[in-house]
Amino acid sequence: MRLYALNRSAAEQGLAVGQALTDARALIPDLTVHQAEPAANAKALKALADWCGRYTPWTNTDGDDGLWLDITGCAHLFGGEAGLIDDLVHRLKDLGFTAHPGLADTPGAAWAIARHGNTPIADPGEQNEVLAPLPIEALRLDPDSALLLHRLGLKTVGPLLDLPRATLERRFRSPEEGEAVLTRLDQAMGRRDEPLSPLHPIPAFTARLVLAEPVLTAEGMEAVQDRLLANLCHDLAEAQKGARSLTLHAYRVDGEVARIAIAMGRPARDPRHMKRLFQERLETIDLGFGVETALLTADLVEPLLPRQIALQASDRLASNDAIDQLVDRLANRLGEPHIRRLKPYESHIPERAQRRVPATQNGAEWMTSTRPRPLRLLDRPEPIEVIAEIPESPPKQFIWRRVARRVLHADGPERIEPEWWRQIGQPVQERVRDYYRVEDREGRRYWLYREGLYQAEGQSGKPAWFLHGVFG
Amino acid sequence: MTLSPDSLSPFTHGPPVKLFWRRAALTDLRRKVAAIEGRPPQYDNVRHAFSDKAAPITEAGTPVWRFGVEAIDEALPDGRLANTGLHDITADAYGDGPAAVGFCLALLRRLQAASAGTGAVLWCENTQAAREFGGLYGPGLAALGIDPDRLILVTVGRDKEVLWAMEEGLRAATLAAVIGEVTTADFTASRRLSLACADSATPALLLRHHRDTATSAARTRWRVAARPGAADGWDARAPGRPRWSLELTRCRGGRPGSWHVEWNDATGDFRLAAPLADRTAASQPAPIRAWGGPHLRRRAG
Repeated sequence: MRLYALNRSAAEQGLAVGQALTDARALIPDLTVHQAEPAANAKALKALADWCGRYTPWTNTDGDDGLWLDITGCAHLFGGEAGLIDDLVHRLKDLGFTAHPGLADTPGAAWAIARHGNTPIADPGEQNEVLAPLPIEALRLDPDSALLLHRLGLKTVGPLLDLPRATLERRFRSPEEGEAVLTRLDQAMGRRDEPLSPLHPIPAFTARLVLAEPVLTAEGMEAVQDRLLANLCHDLAEAQKGARSLTLHAYRVDGEVARIAIAMGRPARDPRHMKRLFQERLETIDLGFGVETALLTADLVEPLLPRQIALQASDRLASNDAIDQLVDRLANRLGEPHIRRLKPYESHIPERAQRRVPATQNGAEWMTSTRPRPLRLLDRPEPIEVIAEIPESPPKQFIWRRVARRVLHADGPERIEPEWWRQIGQPVQERVRDYYRVEDREGRRYWLYREGLYQAEGQSGKPAWFLHGVFG
Repeated sequence: MTLSPDSLSPFTHGPPVKLFWRRAALTDLRRKVAAIEGRPPQYDNVRHAFSDKAAPITEAGTPVWRFGVEAIDEALPDGRLANTGLHDITADAYGDGPAAVGFCLALLRRLQAASAGTGAVLWCENTQAAREFGGLYGPGLAALGIDPDRLILVTVGRDKEVLWAMEEGLRAATLAAVIGEVTTADFTASRRLSLACADSATPALLLRHHRDTATSAARTRWRVAARPGAADGWDARAPGRPRWSLELTRCRGGRPGSWHVEWNDATGDFRLAAPLADRTAASQPAPIRAWGGPHLRRRAG
């Protein structure tokens, strides 16, 4: 067993990471140890990265113990860069973390300052001066390269910067190794781009509200949400956009983030509608010891041109809007796949003649069939046993779901051929269907079919009977 | 001018004035009760007393949702189905489920014809119901004269969700009608729905499972069973128009009763049908085979 991490006082006593536990115990007999849990650490770090969303939407974790924050355009909300860093460090301290901040023009320089520097902020264009006295490990080099540079006497970043690039590259065993060091150097200096990705996609529109006092009640949260919605919808209207999905992030005092999300079938920017969608979820949100910052993000945004407001409630557009809003409310509670509309599909195979599509896709043109069609169609035709007078005639009696039914009236057959263009290359060939509409002695009406023909050439198996639907 | 007993006293004697005011108070109370119960007043002897005030209950311009069959319409309060109320439809037996759906859609078609409406209809179904006899089939609905595009289908697993979706649909006050299929709905649920119906002036139809015996706050309650129909007019062997036996088991302000009706898909009309004797196929008279009749042609083909 070895030491995984140390606190400050342990480090001051001369212990080191990687030391055997027995050795450490020999040095300090009353050492307090806990089992390391890397997975739990990673989870906690990710939660912390989430929590940093209160400062900027662009956050991510770095290694086992670091966080990236891209604060471009965010610092002014906290009184400048120094103010933001001060706020961040203090809040982290309240949560029980010791933080070393680093802020610079490039991720590389910020990393170097955070891990090895003394002053937290490198002013724009000053990373050379700030980085020069730092050890070369600050450049995120792999251990081998760092060791080689040490052997060459290059212990800090400054001399490395002064060295001609060509000579530096030549000193490494392979050109790749030299290139890697130069890349890290260039990234720190801002001569080369370093692509990084955030933990969550950056929302197109955001509204935020920092609260003077933590909000503890659902009513308070509702008021917060109202203001956020008003702000966000105002921004959306200015950009002529509508949101398809929204997330409300509640940053709690204890460092947790609670989120609730809603989705809409069509782009919308009506705060009242969005409020209704949020309403039910808002009750389920766990406010903990209070919410200190709330953020509303529009994650999916689509163009939405302004429209004239309907003069009357009976206006067709207005009623369409009302139906869209109803569909949204149903979909948010019951799940979008449960709300459907029927859409015709050009096929004469009955089960293919309709499709279930999202409820926002309306305006389909239905043709009235001259042929009888059932009110309800079974998802899967059910096999039945049939007694017919002569093979090609309608059934006299059939057994469906174990009940024998005498046929009083029958109409048919309506022959439906398989669609040959679907058959190409298919192992199982569909067969011809002959449909009958029948009424039994109780007056119940069914739609039956016989699949396959008697005395047909090149056909596998005997004809089979199925029940496919019922009439009202 | 407001009337008070004092202003009348010079022209009439004491007792008649008292009687007049008592009657007026009674009439007023009756009207209030009727308004609470959501039905037009039934008392002929007092109707004339406030006929001008009673009229607004059946506002002009609202669609008149009736069967078009005098015998049935007479049994309903005000001669029509309330289009701001909840109506229960129960299948008589398991196998009558499709007949109940057919009747429900027939009522929807009648409502549509009365209101010339093109509004959307919310159809909330329990997954179980859909599994029993299959899902709603667009071409079949179109054949019944109902545009499937107007239907918004909600398919959920539990009655509670069906009822919630129905209530939400009613509260939107923008739909032409709301229809739900449930296994059971208790009195509270049906009361909530009928209140929502009244608030939003939207009709609702609740299709219940045949074994559901819960009490209901619905305006009318129907029991539907399929009945063997006559043969098609053009082909004696083909099934004709569907026939249902309708039993109005409960009707607030109306008279319960039972009827045999025949539904005509083509015109969207109900017609009273004489109940047929239960004849088997064998005992039926042989169909008249006209030369070149449809079935003969089919045989030849």
